[in-house]
Order: sequence, then structure tokens, then C-alpha cells
Amino acid sequence: MPQPTLTYPLIAALTAVFLPFAGCLINALSGRKRTNSGIAIGTITGSLIAAAYVFTQVWGVAPLHIQWEWFVIGTRSFYVGLLLDNQSALMLLLVPLIAVPVHLYSVAYMKDDPGIHRYWMYLGLFCFAMMALVVADNLLLMYVCWELVGFASYLLIGFWFTKDTAAQASKKAFIVNRIGDLGFLIGMAILYAQFGTLDIRALFQGDGLVASANVVGTEWVTSVGSSMPSVWLTAAGIAFLLGAAAKSAQFPMHVWLPDAMAGPTAVSSLIHAATMVAAGVFLLARIFPLFNATTLAIMVVVGTSTAFVAAYFALAQYDIKKILAFSTISQLGFMVMGIGIGAYHVALFHLVTHAFFKCLLFLSAGAVIHEMQHLKEKNKLDIDPQDIRNMGGLRKHMPLTFVVMAVAGLALAGLPPTAGYLSKDALLVHAFEWAAVQRGVAGVVPYLLLAASGFTAFYIARLVFKVFVAPSAMATTAAAHEANKWMLMPMIFLAACSLFPLFSIHPFDVGHVWVIQGMLPLALWPAASLYHTLVPVFATLLSLSMFAIAWRWYAKGTYPLRGRGLLYRLSFHQGYVDRFYHVALVDPLLRLSRFFVTIDRLVVDGVVDGCGRIGRLFAGLAAWFDHYVVDGLVRFVGKMAFWLGNVLRRTQTGRVQYYLFTMFFIVLMVLIYQMIIQA
Amino acid sequence: MITLTHFLVVSACIFAAGLYAVLARRNAIMVLVGIELIINAAILNLVAFGRYDRGQYGGQVFALFAIVLAAAGVAVALAIILNVYQHYQSINPDDIRDLKDQ
Repeated sequence: MPQPTLTYPLIAALTAVFLPFAGCLINALSGRKRTNSGIAIGTITGSLIAAAYVFTQVWGVAPLHIQWEWFVIGTRSFYVGLLLDNQSALMLLLVPLIAVPVHLYSVAYMKDDPGIHRYWMYLGLFCFAMMALVVADNLLLMYVCWELVGFASYLLIGFWFTKDTAAQASKKAFIVNRIGDLGFLIGMAILYAQFGTLDIRALFQGDGLVASANVVGTEWVTSVGSSMPSVWLTAAGIAFLLGAAAKSAQFPMHVWLPDAMAGPTAVSSLIHAATMVAAGVFLLARIFPLFNATTLAIMVVVGTSTAFVAAYFALAQYDIKKILAFSTISQLGFMVMGIGIGAYHVALFHLVTHAFFKCLLFLSAGAVIHEMQHLKEKNKLDIDPQDIRNMGGLRKHMPLTFVVMAVAGLALAGLPPTAGYLSKDALLVHAFEWAAVQRGVAGVVPYLLLAASGFTAFYIARLVFKVFVAPSAMATTAAAHEANKWMLMPMIFLAACSLFPLFSIHPFDVGHVWVIQGMLPLALWPAASLYHTLVPVFATLLSLSMFAIAWRWYAKGTYPLRGRGLLYRLSFHQGYVDRFYHVALVDPLLRLSRFFVTIDRLVVDGVVDGCGRIGRLFAGLAAWFDHYVVDGLVRFVGKMAFWLGNVLRRTQTGRVQYYLFTMFFIVLMVLIYQMIIQA
Repeated sequence: MITLTHFLVVSACIFAAGLYAVLARRNAIMVLVGIELIINAAILNLVAFGRYDRGQYGGQVFALFAIVLAAAGVAVALAIILNVYQHYQSINPDDIRDLKDQ
């Protein structure tokens, strides 16, 4: 192939990707000494500038693609490269755009943490991996970055690894992600077996290999002539979906995400907004042409159930971060559902808007937790600083935090004039339109989503009211005050980004959103204008009524429920999914491991020990032989020499007469001998 | 008559006596005497065999040389014995067994 030429946007993209990595390396090399944040913030800001330049050059223009040969196996070449199209340029911009506020926020939030030098290193690695993932031009490279993202998140979730919960959570996240990685790997293997390439553009562009392959009878035939049973097409789709489901925390593999709250809050915001969980949705959008009707249906089911179930679980949580975690899972369910119905442009749009307001929610929650932690330490209280039952009335003491969190809450609930309204109602509208052309039970999907959306409004209102509006739970909260300006500035910036003007000049019509216009799919079902007006109005009214109920219950303190019912317990214990996994998977696995340990100890170790004993026996024999035969011989020679020397020593008396006598005697002997010979 | 054999037997007797003195005496002077006896036994042999050389008298002449050399040897040997005595305070050959200075 011809030598690829690097143009300025490509160089800028490379710069954007590798700057955080350089920062990570510098921080890693300088080790414990480097506690200031200069390098990390500098590199991520540079990365943001480069990404912004790339975005202006690439958005709405023909995609840029460059690749270099990476390695050759047999006659097959594998490539590394960059693919800059609308999707990847958008994501490339989004990651540092979220990461910069998080970095700035961390300066104050992580101040005086003993592990701070590791923190900046891991953040750099995390951003690098995610940005490399979005610009990767083939699935193999994407997979490498996919693993790196998982690894970096493992490090960050377990950042406070001396806490048992953090160590367990990081392990859990890693293991659940491994299951998904297996799916990714299998899907990749099927694609490679069928098409002989992993290049994203060659496979998935409009007239690419996947699009031109057809299912003929029960065979899946490609335009390059290869074919395999069509069940593999479904299998590949499901495998990739499994990968994305684990990464994007889809039900029932969402269990790692609530536990991942054990990491620093700033990290949670990054994981939940632009990196990590976004990777799964991004992957699904990237490889969308691969999915056939079956896998799309599965995706809709998974997404919808995730959206509904997670929203339901969020209702009864008391940990402020857990509520937000389930809210993320629920929103990711919306996105996956959006891809399942074919509206991946809207799903990605929701991913972008969600990134801003979810990051903001976490940062605000972090500010509150930070404050509660201070109060706890100052007053020597025995409370959980993340428990919303201990908060209340913080509006008077942290007014700015309250305002930005309210904005984020409105965006999450999908109320105008926020960007969340645009993206979420667009998803709902598309779900209704999609259901209109489907048959059977598919009609349930939009209503479940509507219910989930109602739950969402309720739990976020509950959160905000309980923390900021309700009467103070403790007298000491009066001492709370506004967070440091380094924490507030990123929050205000994100709040501005959560409003509609960033995305559209029209606050109500999603059709004007430039993100959507840049990524319209090739084929869409007929638009039903009825839904376009009815659904948003109804969803908004639903959210408002949920707000009203939450206001009555929590702000006014007239909570009517007993908190004992089955539904409540189901929600509070998160549907017992964790416990089910523990009983159904973890315990049997542990028992199996213990069984294998016994086998290992008795059989494998026994064989090894036996071999060892035989070896020792032989060694003993060899030692005996060595000691008595070889050494004996040597010692015998030595002893002989000693004895001979001892004997001959006696002759050397120093007495002249003795010598003379000896001489005479020998001469005499010789003479006698001669005489005998002669005779 | 006195034959060559008589001379040789006497000579052998003297040699044996000298050899005994050299090997067995505990006095360096007596050892020296033994050496003289051995030399004299040899000289006696020279003289005895000299009768087969009547023209040149080689045996007698050689005997004279040997006597002179023996006398010189005795002089040197006595000097050595004197020095040995001064050094070791003894002229017993058994005591003189060191090859190096003390």
C-alpha cells in the first residue's frame, strides 16, 4: 500500500490521544515526588485543544483514515490506524471536554490524598485509553484500548485499595468486564473468519462488507465469496452486545457499576460520563450494520429492561452515589435501546448530553460528600457522609451547588430548557415511532421507557429535595459552606453545557440539533408528527407530577409509605441481583475452586512431591556414591601420598653416616645382584 | 712367597676397618681416621698392582700423589672439624644434621 500521508487533523488527533499518555508516563516516572497536578492538567488541556481542532476539521466533512502496518501473521497483515469520522471526532472531543473539568475538580477534591501521584497517572491512562478507543480504525486496536480502559478503571475504582470495599469493587468490575471482553473477542473472531479483515471502515461503512453480505437461505454469504451458517451472524451480534453490555453496565451485568462508587467521586464522574461506560454504547453504534433483526430485538429488550429496572432500583437507595450509579445504568439502558431501534444517532446524542449532566451530578454529589466528610471529621460524628438521610437543608449553605445540581437534575429528568430534554424525549419519540411499525409485544417498550422516565424524575427529585430542601437531619449541617472555587468552576461550566444552547438553537425541537444532523442513519421509519408533540408534552407532565409528589413527600416531610413492602425491599436490595449472583455463581465457583484446591493439593502436589521424593532418593544415592567412591578414591590417593611421604621422610635423617651406609648397602646389593646375574 | 692376593686381602681388611670407622664411630676425628684407612687401602692396592708396571712405576708414582692428596685432604678436613666443633660444640657426626644456619 502507498505510504500514508499525515495531514494536520491526523497529527492533531494523534497529539490529542498521546498527550494524556505522555502525562501519565511523566507522572509514572517521577513517582511519589510528583504531587502537583500541573502535568496532568496541562496535557489534558492540550489534548482538548487538539481534539477541538480535529473536530472543526472533520465534523460534517468526509472521514479521514490513515493506517500503518502493525504486524504480519502468515500472509495476513494487521494494521494500526486512525479513523476520524463524525462519530469518533465527536467522542474524541467529548472525552477531554469532560476530563478537563474533572481534572480541575480533582485538584481540590483530592488535595492531600497520600496517593495523589498515582491518581494523576491513572487519570492520564484512562483518558488516553478512551480516546485511543474512539479513534481506532480497526476492531483489534479497539479491543486493545477496550482492555486498557477496563484496566485503568480497575486501577481507579480500587484507588483507595486499603478499603476493603474498594478492593472488592475493583475486582468485581474487572471480572464482570472480562465476561464482556470475551464477547467482544468472540465477535471479532467471527467477523475475521467471515471477512478476513477487522477494519471498521471496510466492514461497516454504508456499502461495506457487512452491508453487502446477505443471508441466503441458511447461509450468510459475503461479497468476497466466503460464507458460513447464518446463525453466526446472530452469534456475532450477540457476542458484541455482550461485550457492550458488560462495559456499559446493562442489566443483568450492571452489578459492577454501583459498587464502583467505592472509587473517588471525581473518578466516578469520569467513568459514568465520557469514558468506560460510554465505550459500550459507542461500540454498538460503530458496528451497527452488523446487527440483524434478532440481535436488535435482544438489544431493545436488554436496553429497555435495564432502563426500567435500574430506575426502579434507584428509587429506594440512600447512598447518594448509588442513586446516581443506578441512574447512569438506567440512562445507558435508554441509549442501548435507542441503538436497538436503529436510532443510534439519537443514542449517541443522548450519550453526549448525558455525559455533561451526569458528570455534573457526580461532581455536585462529590462537593456535598466532601462537605459532609469535613463535618464528620470536625464534629467527630459517626455517620456515613454519603447517606442522604444525614443531609438536608444544604440549599442555604451551598446555594451554587444546589443550583447546578438542580440544573443537572432537570436535565436527567428530561425537562426543558436542558439538553437532556432534547435527547431523552427524542429517544422516547423514536421508541414510539418504532413501536408503531412493530407488531406484538414491542408496543410495551415505549410505555416501559415512559415509566422509567417517570421513575427517573422521581428519584432525582427525591435526591435533590432530601439533600438540599428538606429540613436538616442534623444540627451540625449549619456549619456547611460552599465548596472551593476550583470545585465550583468546573461544575458551573458543566451546568452551562447541560443546557440546550450548546446543541441546538431551538430549545424544543430535536431536529435542529447539530449532533443529530451530523450522524443521521441511512434508513429511518416514517416519522409520526403526532408523537413529536404528544410524547414530549406527556413526558414533561409526567416528570412534573413526579416532582410534585417528591416535593410533597420529601420536602414537606409527609412521607406516606411504610418502607416495608415487597416492592420497596426489592428496590432497596437492588432486586437481589447481587445476592442471586452470590448464591448462584460466586458460591458454587468458590466451592468448585476449593474442590480444585483439594485436587491440586492431593493429586497434582502429590505427583510433584512424589517426583521430588524420587529425585531426593536418587540424589541420596548419588551423594553416597560421590562420598564413598569418588571422594574415597581422591582421599585414598591423598592418603597414599601422605603415607609414602611419611615413610620416605624417615630416610632423610640428616645423618651423614646413615647416608653413607645406605649408599654402601645399595652398591653392595647391586654387586650381589650382578654376581647372581653373572652366575 | 707373598702373592698379590695377600696384598689384596690385607688391603681389603684395612678397607673394611676404615669403612667400619667411617660408618660407625661417633667422633669426626675417628671418621677422618677411617677415611685415611680407606685411602691407604687403596694406595696399598696401587702399590701392589704396581708390580705389573715395572717400566714406568706408575703404581708407585700414583701412590705418592695419593698420599700427598690424602695429607692435604686431612689438613682441610681437620680445619672443617675444628670449625664444626666451634659451631656445634660437638664433633659427633650424629649431632651435625642441619643444612642451614641456626
